[in-house]
Amino acid sequence: MKVSVSRSGGIAGIRVTWEVQVDEQPDARSWRELLDALPWDETEESAPEPDRYVYRIRCAPHEVVLPEPQVAGPWKDLVDRVRAVNEGR
Amino acid sequence: MTATPRCAIVPPYLLVRLARLDDPRFAAAAEAARRSLLRDVPLRELRAAAHPPPRTFRAGTARERGRIDRAVWDATGLERLPGRLLARSEGWPATADPAVNEAYDGLGETHSLFWTRFRRDSIDDRGMPLEASVHYGRKYDNAFWDGERMVFGDGDGQVFNRFTRSLTVIGHELTHGVTQHTANLAYEGQSGAVNESLSDVFGSLVEQHAAGQGTAEASWLIGEGLFTDQVQGLALRSMRAPGTAYNDDVLGKDPQPDSMAGYIDTEDDNGGVHLNSGIPNRAFYLVAEALGGNAWEAPGQIWYDTLTGGNLRRGVDFAGFARATQAAAATRFGAESREHTAVASAWHEVGLGQSLVAGAAAE
Ligand SMILES: [Zn+2]
Repeated sequence: MKVSVSRSGGIAGIRVTWEVQVDEQPDARSWRELLDALPWDETEESAPEPDRYVYRIRCAPHEVVLPEPQVAGPWKDLVDRVRAVNEGR
Repeated sequence: MTATPRCAIVPPYLLVRLARLDDPRFAAAAEAARRSLLRDVPLRELRAAAHPPPRTFRAGTARERGRIDRAVWDATGLERLPGRLLARSEGWPATADPAVNEAYDGLGETHSLFWTRFRRDSIDDRGMPLEASVHYGRKYDNAFWDGERMVFGDGDGQVFNRFTRSLTVIGHELTHGVTQHTANLAYEGQSGAVNESLSDVFGSLVEQHAAGQGTAEASWLIGEGLFTDQVQGLALRSMRAPGTAYNDDVLGKDPQPDSMAGYIDTEDDNGGVHLNSGIPNRAFYLVAEALGGNAWEAPGQIWYDTLTGGNLRRGVDFAGFARATQAAAATRFGAESREHTAVASAWHEVGLGQSLVAGAAAE
């Protein structure tokens, strides 16, 4: 199982993608719990705000596109965690 | 650890008045008051204090147009806006914090371009106070416009420096406010890329106007100085040569197209608003190059007339925007004037519309 977070936009317009192979993580179980608990089907449409990031989060079969202000709560936990693995923190 | 005076019994208005004192004899008190404003003061009162009515104001008299009113807030590493500390308000002396001073000065330069060149009285043309928040988030690699104010991160220090370092970025963010209060272009797809391009155009003009640079001397770069010296790149974007601002082994190459032939279809970035903006950016540069002199004069005036003229649809596409700039040029300078011709040729060169010059019209 793989989870990927792709961040585009921002004033720089530079896209960055972070990926995590969940099964290879020492805490794979807590990853799966976090992923299962995400409100994948409850995202709302909202007007984009200038220069804010746009996040595309994928974990088959799910995919959501979230504007930065909506990346809060469990979504923020997930993004922070995916980044931390990629940045070796 | 030294205890900071809490000043808890000092009413907020007095605290703010103290914090605003610029008499050197009261420097210590002013600083203590400013520090104590970090805590406990209801935001509503701080906001009122950040933008007190001008001293000359009397009930029933119109406020003086063109009068600037700035406030810079310190978000202190949190992601809450406007921030915990009112760091510098209109008329306060410079602080020890370069991000605060850069934001304050940048608000001033942006206000100056719009007021002195286009007689626009702040973002809404009704004297709206100009606000900035600095030190937003931790190592936050971005700057944005939240609908009311511009917001700046400190950068991560490895790829990005603090975002207030570039005057073009400050002008860019405030121009999003001007666009919001005028054409209010939808921030997606081609209208979003036009919205982005307008912010780059006026952001660049703010810098050129402040530095007194004509078209030939100007860098035409957006966000020069934002990358650390570990990055192979000059800036975020180049208006003169989109696609050439950086080429780095980690960040990759600047992906901006410079004409319709390179138009990028993508779902990311609200439909590539920061990518395809290279096309209208270059069109503006080509107008400035053809006309020479100062870009904030005829070229800036034409783009400003287009933005504020009331003829742009919210979802306008590149072709519609190109036509609108030509109409604005013809209205202000005359049909087939040098300016009108330059605008038509510029769009033709980036792959949009027909040149007015005989022989180049076949497309
Ligand atoms: Zn922007």
